[in-house]
Amino acid sequence: MNSNGDAVFSCRDLRVFVGDKAIVKGVDLEVRAGEKHALMGPNGSGKSTLANALMGHPSYRVEGEIRLGGERIDHLPPHERARRGMFLGFQYPVAVPGVSVANFLRAAVSARRGADVPVREFRQQMQAAFAELQVPKDFVSRYLNDGFSGGEKKRLEILQMLMLAPTFALLDETDSGLDIDALKVVAEGVNKAAGPATGVLMVTHYQRILNYMKPDRVHVFMGGRIVRAGGPELAHELEARGYDWIAREVGLEPAAAAAEGSRT
Amino acid sequence: MASTEHREVPAARRPALTGDGVAALSAQVGEGPALFARRRAAAARYATAADPDRVSHLWRFTDPAHLLPETLAAPRAAAAPPSPHAEHAAARVLMLAGMRPLITAGLKALAAGLVVKPLAEAEEELEALEAREPAEGADPGSGLFQALNGAAWNTGLYVGVPPGAILDEPVHVLIDAAGGGTLPRLVVDVGRGAQAVVVEEHTGGDAGSRVVSSSELHAADGARLRHVLVQTWGEGVCGHLTARARAGRDADVLTVFASFGGERSKVELTCDLAGEGARSEMIGVVMGAGRQRFDHHTRHRHLAGRTWSNIDFKAVADAAARSSYTGLIRIEQDARGSEAYQENRNLLLSDRSRADSIPELEILNQDVSCSHGATVAPVDPEQVFYLQSRGLDPDEALRLVVRGFLEKTFGRLPGDLRERLEDLVGARLAALQGRAS
Ligand SMILES: Nc1ncnc2c1ncn2[C@@H]1O[C@H](COP(=O)(O)OP(=O)(O)O)[C@@H](O)[C@H]1O
Ligand SMILES: [Mg+2]
Repeated sequence: MNSNGDAVFSCRDLRVFVGDKAIVKGVDLEVRAGEKHALMGPNGSGKSTLANALMGHPSYRVEGEIRLGGERIDHLPPHERARRGMFLGFQYPVAVPGVSVANFLRAAVSARRGADVPVREFRQQMQAAFAELQVPKDFVSRYLNDGFSGGEKKRLEILQMLMLAPTFALLDETDSGLDIDALKVVAEGVNKAAGPATGVLMVTHYQRILNYMKPDRVHVFMGGRIVRAGGPELAHELEARGYDWIAREVGLEPAAAAAEGSRT
Repeated sequence: MASTEHREVPAARRPALTGDGVAALSAQVGEGPALFARRRAAAARYATAADPDRVSHLWRFTDPAHLLPETLAAPRAAAAPPSPHAEHAAARVLMLAGMRPLITAGLKALAAGLVVKPLAEAEEELEALEAREPAEGADPGSGLFQALNGAAWNTGLYVGVPPGAILDEPVHVLIDAAGGGTLPRLVVDVGRGAQAVVVEEHTGGDAGSRVVSSSELHAADGARLRHVLVQTWGEGVCGHLTARARAGRDADVLTVFASFGGERSKVELTCDLAGEGARSEMIGVVMGAGRQRFDHHTRHRHLAGRTWSNIDFKAVADAAARSSYTGLIRIEQDARGSEAYQENRNLLLSDRSRADSIPELEILNQDVSCSHGATVAPVDPEQVFYLQSRGLDPDEALRLVVRGFLEKTFGRLPGDLRERLEDLVGARLAALQGRAS
């Protein structure tokens, strides 16, 4: 689904540092309403660092510009970015023991709206989202991500995305650790979210989910930079040939494309 | 994160207590000769009691000098406040130093046989109690405070629930710390097979207020007692609260303690599992801020076979607050087949706050099951980031994490109590507003 909507998200010359070490080394991106982008790169290339830094994670130093709907947000704390419509689906959603999914969702939806959601309206909205993502009802009273399987956590991330109606959703490996049915459910959620007001950036190192969500644009991320961009065909090429050939073409040692290759 | 603080043992600056002073206190509460004799005996113990041993765990974290009143002179009775209404309560009591307790009991509870009266007027009841249950001997470690309270108590209450009586509403006792020295003394006697809830709430006071309180609770065979000890003192209050419970055969004692206020407080809770099959559970919550210091000690003594005890204690410390916990489980040789559990978790909200946790196990019978666990940890910044990424500001995120931390403990409380404690925690959490950024 291509559209000529305005940019819901952009960043320019984005650099992310841990201490003195640059992990993201100058990234330019623009996502328009209705668009689905994929950012693909090998393990350890800095994808999660980029995603977390965009959301405002406190352990990174960030240089460059980040805009949401044209407004600079790089100076804002994470909750202000979220309230303005940014959403991050975490690669490793953290457990918050003792906080029920329902209480958490209500707090999050209220924060995003800037006003308390009436209980009944909230319940209806929550039930609809649960049904859509095929999450069992008893999850409402379970503690947030506490003891959830990998797949359950990822479904819950997508569920949150649908309930929070972001204008820009950044999904970090939401496809990893899912069986094929869960993958389809997640992809449908992503397809639904990418609407007239919302753009999506799916961060992944597999092209598998892209079969179901059909990205408008694919960016290849290596060594802290976007080294190539193209249409959906680029994802298929990566699937068939791996990452090393691009690394060689752009003059990176394949080993340097990933700082560490072990995390998945 | 055990403390390594070692100071010279200071000589506790003990307030003086003369024979005339004891007589004046006795006259003020209006007790008879038998109680006066007990008071004089306690005064003699006070005169010779050793200072608390600061090297032992029990007194390692708190200097007793901070907790003692300046003077033990009989306080001037305050203008009498209006009597409390006994709505939603079996009885309501207001206690103030030097004043006869104001008591309002509900008709239903009175009909069930509830006795609530000033301790000074409970000579007979105390004698009957002692005939039934000989005292277990001096409290190890804090004899000074026990003796002080026994000699100089200036407001006292007796609560008696006759055998078989079932009170479905609580006896609510409010103890106001107003003035320089409040020394409340409470005796609760729940008869065979009876059931009662006693809420002991310490409140009020200011920087000049000191409290030395002693409660003695008896759950006879098959009795069920819930004792709720809530401390919501005003800023600057310091004090020492003791509660000693005894559970008879198949008795069931639940002690809920919650400390929020004051400047420095030490709470010592003991339950003696004296009869076979007795159960005792202690559930506690502490929330500290500013420069508050909390020191809690629990002691479960398994004296008989097949007894069961559990402790679930959670402390949250913000700013430069500090919580210290020492918990003793002692299983006597005769306590075959007993179970004892203890868990203490501490959540630190700032890098200046701290917590100490020291379990002590003395197990003299090997045919038992016993476990303990303690953690001291700061709030996980990844949890806060996750919640923040969903639009919650850092204060909201922190409040949610704290509520989550306490949730499982609250889940063990009966509904009405849980609500009350959640309100108190909510009020404390609201004060966290604006502290994080
Ligand atoms: N907070 C941090 N401190 C130190 N190193 C970090 C930190 N965050 C990321 N890194 C390093 O940055 C590199 C990229 O990691 P990551 O962003 O997780 O890659 P990807 O998501 O592409 O697998 C890794 O070498 C990782 O160890
Ligand atoms: Mg990653």
